Amino acid sequence: MTLSVALGPDTQESTQTGTASSTDVLTAPDIPWNLVIWNDPVNLMSYVSYVFRSYFGYSEAKANKLMLEVHKKGRSIVAHGSKEQVEQHAVAMHGYGLWATVEKASSGHGGNGSGKGKGKRG
Amino acid sequence: MAKAFKYGLKGITGYLEPAERDLLRSLFDDVISMLEPEERANQDPLAALVGLDTEAREPSDRALRRLLPNVMKDDDKASLEFRRYTERSLRESKIGALKAAALGLDKDELVLTPADARHWSTALNDVRLVLAERLDIRDDADAEHVHRMQDWSQAEDVESYLALVYNFTTWLQESLVQAMLASLEA
Repeated sequence: MTLSVALGPDTQESTQTGTASSTDVLTAPDIPWNLVIWNDPVNLMSYVSYVFRSYFGYSEAKANKLMLEVHKKGRSIVAHGSKEQVEQHAVAMHGYGLWATVEKASSGHGGNGSGKGKGKRG
Repeated sequence: MAKAFKYGLKGITGYLEPAERDLLRSLFDDVISMLEPEERANQDPLAALVGLDTEAREPSDRALRRLLPNVMKDDDKASLEFRRYTERSLRESKIGALKAAALGLDKDELVLTPADARHWSTALNDVRLVLAERLDIRDDADAEHVHRMQDWSQAEDVESYLALVYNFTTWLQESLVQAMLASLEA
């Protein structure tokens, strides 16, 4: 991702709570698919964060945390759900121009990026 | 000179010079023509109507592959299957946003509804993804190198011209996204 101008003052901690979609509920252990967003040098950090907020309804804090995870670690699991759910999210992300893939939750990436803060709402 | 988008009482507003609007219109048109599905003589019209494209292939062009990526990293077969069911409508929704943004270029003063702003932000993003492939931006260092190109009087070859165009669209998209983020707070 690229930071073209500045994130501006609105990166501060926010108390606003997003209206999280049902895929944001990460409690069910039997939900087997992940939506992964990959880093690229083109998409603006602000835009990625905006997409996470407006599409998934994530809070500003959660959206920024996931965006930074994509930027620093190269990828982040941003939603879980059934195969159909995450595929639908992937198409939506492609519509926004984000680089998204789906994968089985156990598919060898060792939960990279999904670990701490999992299930914590902003 | 263009003015940055901002969020205010009238919604999201911006201003572009005629030359800037012409430039954006041609960029939007270029991406539209890349995305337009080829019409095939033997195509099943009913399948096309429901968005199914049994002939869909992973694009050979890098830029188009970035706009229409595989849905699975390590499974080309499943990705192709998925592409056949989804790619046509993805192309159409991208074309729709690009056309909507292009239509808004008829006036110097831009006043964007929330839907307009969404179309503009995805249209600008798709344009930037294509330009970035043409400029061979592969990592953050490449992006930084291109970003340093800011002086139009230095535009002496196609690459430096493309870099300036890329930086202009980056600046415009960033200002739009900041305005959209401000509108989320309101």
